[in-house]
Amino acid sequence: MPRFLFVVPPLAGHVNPTVSVAKELLARGHEVAWVGHRGAIEPWLPGGANLFPVEDCGSPLLAAQRAAMARTVRGLESLRFLFDDFLLPLARMMLADVERAVEVFRPSVLVVDQQALAGRLVARRRGLAWASFATTSTLLTDPVPELPKVGEWLCQRLASLDLEAALTPTEDFGLSPHLVIVFSTEALMGAKVLPAHFHFVGPSLSDRPDPTPFPWDWFRAVPRILVTLGTVNVDRGSHYFKTALEAFQDQPLQVVLVAPPELVGPAPENVLVRVHIPQLAVLPHVNAIVCHGGHNTVCEALANGLPLVLAPIKDDQMQIARQVVGAGAGIKLRFGRFTAADLRQSAERALGDPKFRDAAKRIQASFAAAGGARRAAELLKGLA
Amino acid sequence: MSDPVTPTQQEVLDTLAGFLREIVAEPWIAEVPITMETSFSQDLELESIEFVALATKLRDRYGFEAEFTDWLAGLEFEEIIALRVGSLVEFILRCHSPR
Repeated sequence: MPRFLFVVPPLAGHVNPTVSVAKELLARGHEVAWVGHRGAIEPWLPGGANLFPVEDCGSPLLAAQRAAMARTVRGLESLRFLFDDFLLPLARMMLADVERAVEVFRPSVLVVDQQALAGRLVARRRGLAWASFATTSTLLTDPVPELPKVGEWLCQRLASLDLEAALTPTEDFGLSPHLVIVFSTEALMGAKVLPAHFHFVGPSLSDRPDPTPFPWDWFRAVPRILVTLGTVNVDRGSHYFKTALEAFQDQPLQVVLVAPPELVGPAPENVLVRVHIPQLAVLPHVNAIVCHGGHNTVCEALANGLPLVLAPIKDDQMQIARQVVGAGAGIKLRFGRFTAADLRQSAERALGDPKFRDAAKRIQASFAAAGGARRAAELLKGLA
Repeated sequence: MSDPVTPTQQEVLDTLAGFLREIVAEPWIAEVPITMETSFSQDLELESIEFVALATKLRDRYGFEAEFTDWLAGLEFEEIIALRVGSLVEFILRCHSPR
């Protein structure tokens, strides 16, 4: 029976897709295991999962760097931080442990998250069959074709890792030449010319029950908007949250604002401020979402056919926002600049103009038809 | 095409600022002063496609298409991140000065 080893970075959003796909592989009688940072990964894995832990010596430092970056870096600069201060050191840190896991587990296929570059190095060094998981869909090709030196810089950074591992550099943005599983659809990303080994299975949405309480009887019969910054950007949200309050107070709608109450101050009666919500359960009860453009939140909103107002900050968010705008399902604002009037007008358009909702529903349908974890499992099996 | 008379720094800056306000086309940009020190990424959150739109407008206004395309394609990643309005103004003035 084929054996699959998942190589994952210490980021929950990148672990979740492996869990859904692993479930499908296990149901087919295959063996699966993970290699990664125990503290960041184990809480998301099924009970009794086979985990090869990575020595955790450097990860508090990486976590601190990532936290500092999350507070300050914006736009293209975050791409440099992502690679120089996170992904490349992470690859060096994980390399020996991925080698050991491969020696012990002897996988038929290595399944490598695009951000867990150590997996790519080990697979290439040992000539293993390997697949890439593109958990977010923005680095499949040159991220900024308008400015060619950005893509060149990225290839150089990846090449430096390849050379350290005595491998010949390639120009594939770190992706597998055998199989690339993209957790998105072309309806969202826009049709791209990509090699035949790229497959789009739609986003992997968590099906874990979320026990976070929510006051469901607060909802009234008016349009409702969810305003969130996801889980990792909250501490730079002061302007964002205050502007949202100003934009929506006294409007004939209800707003669920996901924020620490102390950052928001007193809220009017049509705004519910909660530091945590059961987001997947709440989304079917709202009519639009205002967010930062994180891949998970965007896909969860679109899986519910919701139009979006996006204020991207960094990393892949600018491109995800561009995808959503390009697909016609949302409106983009500038994170550091937008005013209450901008936000109110954008939300009114997103709620009032059916073309945004229709586009969101088209993407929703594409997600439902993409095959998800089941299709990903079949593709992996085909590689074994 | 290029003006017979070399424009002044202030003229180029004003033209550039006008183009930027057209491209961004959001209410806040009317209130924000655009100076030689304004950063494209930090201050204006200009996206790469908007930057290319700006380049097209400048090319139509000032000419020197080949120089412009080369300059844009030759910007290093670090230079793109740190790029200020002043660098673009100075590039346009350089293209206008006699060689």
